[in-house]
Amino acid sequence: MTDLPNDASELALLRSGDDAAFARLVRAHHRALLALARPIVGESEAAEVVQTAWIKAHGALKDFEGRAALRTWLSRIVINEARMMLRQRKREVFLEDLQPSGADPLAERFVSNGHWGAPPANWHADSPDSLLTREELADCLAALLDSLPANQRALLELRDSDGVPFDEVCNMLGISASNARVLLHRARARLFALVDHFEETGEC
Amino acid sequence: MLKCRDVPAEAEALLDGELGLGRRAALRLHLFMCGNCRRYLSNLRQLMVAVPHMHGDASDQEVDQVLKHLHDHLHEHSH
Repeated sequence: MTDLPNDASELALLRSGDDAAFARLVRAHHRALLALARPIVGESEAAEVVQTAWIKAHGALKDFEGRAALRTWLSRIVINEARMMLRQRKREVFLEDLQPSGADPLAERFVSNGHWGAPPANWHADSPDSLLTREELADCLAALLDSLPANQRALLELRDSDGVPFDEVCNMLGISASNARVLLHRARARLFALVDHFEETGEC
Repeated sequence: MLKCRDVPAEAEALLDGELGLGRRAALRLHLFMCGNCRRYLSNLRQLMVAVPHMHGDASDQEVDQVLKHLHDHLHEHSH
């Protein structure tokens, strides 16, 4: 994917209202922002939330100070818009059922004495950036993300994909730190298992 | 004594910057002796770097749609 660091020249272009720089920003982050909005407002309303967020971001960029990464800043705008939409729709519950449920997906890989029964594979991706964007993985990754409970998915997007600080994520989702840790671990473990299986078998 | 089974949680806490000195020392000792857990930590590190990139870039069509809505909005509000 396009790498868009918070470098000074790109930020200066964005702040000055440069259309091409804004288009690059949209290209780099739009899909991630949609993925963040989906578990919170649902598939059908995610596009509208993110579109409104882009309009707000466009108006606010001149005041962006660069204290957070652009993705983190954009994610906060999406979360605000999602909250406003839920309020307008009189949906009070931000995310349903925030209790972790089911077994730890990694637990079955250990034997009774606590050692690995099925140890992790050697991973061979060309670079960490491309680890999850390989074409062969695309459908499986999409299916896995769709299958995650909304609370796990929202946590994974906010914390690991968008870089929002852990305490802020807990506040945003109205969830205790201990629950959030378990949910985030479950989501990471599912992703880990997907890549590990692919690395070992070439299939997913 | 840390078991392999405990390593995933400790490794995540390490990468999240939440592991205190004592737990970090226990993890380091375990990793020194255990190749499987060293590989686990190395893989997990790669995964955490990869996650922000996992959704990829938007297509030309998606970008154009966002920009069109934006321009319509700006046009509407400039009158």
